[in-house]
Amino acid sequence: MENFSKDETFLARWIAGELSPKELEKFQNSQGYPVLKKINDASQNLKAPTFNDQALLIKLKELNKPQPKVKKLIPNWAYSAAAVLVVALGLLYVMTLSSHYQTSFGEQLAVLLPDNSSVKLNANSKLEYKTLNWKSNRRLELEGEAFFDVEKGQSFKVFTNLGLVEVLGTEFNVISRDAYFEVQCMEGKVRVSSNTLNEEVVLLPGDAVRVANNRLEEWNFSLDEPNWTLGESTFFNTPISQVLLALENQFQIKFDKTNIDLNKRFTGAFTHKNLNLALKTVSGPMGISYTVDKENNTILLNSYNNN
Amino acid sequence: MNSDPKSVCEQKNYEQLFITHSKTLFNFIYYKCGDVQQAEDIVQDAYVKLWNNCSKVIYDKAKSFLFTVARNLFFNEVAHKKIVLQHESSTTSKSITNESPQYILEEQEFMEKLKNAIDSLPEKQREVFLLSRIDKKKYTEISEIVGISIKAVEKRMSLALTTLRDKLGDI
Repeated sequence: MENFSKDETFLARWIAGELSPKELEKFQNSQGYPVLKKINDASQNLKAPTFNDQALLIKLKELNKPQPKVKKLIPNWAYSAAAVLVVALGLLYVMTLSSHYQTSFGEQLAVLLPDNSSVKLNANSKLEYKTLNWKSNRRLELEGEAFFDVEKGQSFKVFTNLGLVEVLGTEFNVISRDAYFEVQCMEGKVRVSSNTLNEEVVLLPGDAVRVANNRLEEWNFSLDEPNWTLGESTFFNTPISQVLLALENQFQIKFDKTNIDLNKRFTGAFTHKNLNLALKTVSGPMGISYTVDKENNTILLNSYNNN
Repeated sequence: MNSDPKSVCEQKNYEQLFITHSKTLFNFIYYKCGDVQQAEDIVQDAYVKLWNNCSKVIYDKAKSFLFTVARNLFFNEVAHKKIVLQHESSTTSKSITNESPQYILEEQEFMEKLKNAIDSLPEKQREVFLLSRIDKKKYTEISEIVGISIKAVEKRMSLALTTLRDKLGDI
């Protein structure tokens, strides 16, 4: 009599009261009916948990209220602007980033530039250049004395207060101190233009030029490299003031030059290793005597032959 | 055809939709997961969604919109808790007069067994069975709520009854 279990929707129709009277009677007499009837009756007395719809409605009204427009204290574009500013500043910093080298008394420094050109910096000198884009813009600022070994490439410019040295790949020595400007060319070709005299000179290997007493002097020499890089300073017909200055820079001493003729010229060399020997080699040929004044930490110079 | 369709965006109509359907919506989700809190959350979310889309939803379609949204929201949640159902005291008050204590005790025992049996029903059978028996919904309405055909509702209903009978058959 279990016909309801064969029909998939029989029980559903019974629940919905859609059975025909005949079907119903048959079903009521079946074996499983009492239990099902009981389940049906009992389940209709069940209740779901209470649902507080009023509270939820109030909450919904609150949630559905149009949100007041929030005006940001810091507008979004301000963040972008700040970011751009930071990037711009960073870029500016990198672009103007420069390397700076300075030597003190008696110091020498070898600097390797980004393109493998090398600079040897003599005592008490300053060198500055921009690292960014070095290969297409080889510019240096120099104050003091330095020897350059320049690799081939774009024009290589050394700016000094007194003049500009421009080359295309060569070796040369530059001195630019106070009012004294000197360039020696060891290799290649160097163009020197003086700021004070408004003149231009092209130097070939062995040529040297100096600006002294507002005059341009040219001479020749025979060195592959300036001697100062090897521990000796060499001079050719150089004003004595420059020689003394070189001594001061090398040994960190101070001369009292009031009693000597500064226009005398000196040709020779002094060592960097021994102050006494250096003083003797310079003062002897020049007819100068020297006394060390320990109190003022100066060296007093006197001319002893008056001819 | 109504020439002047009601707008869901109108507060009055929206509240009407809430009063008519929120309880069924709540029960429906509760029958699925047995979690009052989750059911409340889903009802709330469904109605907030309805409000946010009120200009796009036709009033007559709002009901099915709500149930569809609730069903989709439920898919994201998985936890199943025990379904706790109360039973009305009407039978007991009636029985005080003419039922024996023995009968009352048996009746209570049966109620407990029934609740446990309902809890252990598969989710699909349970939601149909309870929507029909507790919320007194017609099969057409259940099919709309659950999102299945009427035939499928009837099958699940019959299946639920058979399962329950098998579990409680020894009484």
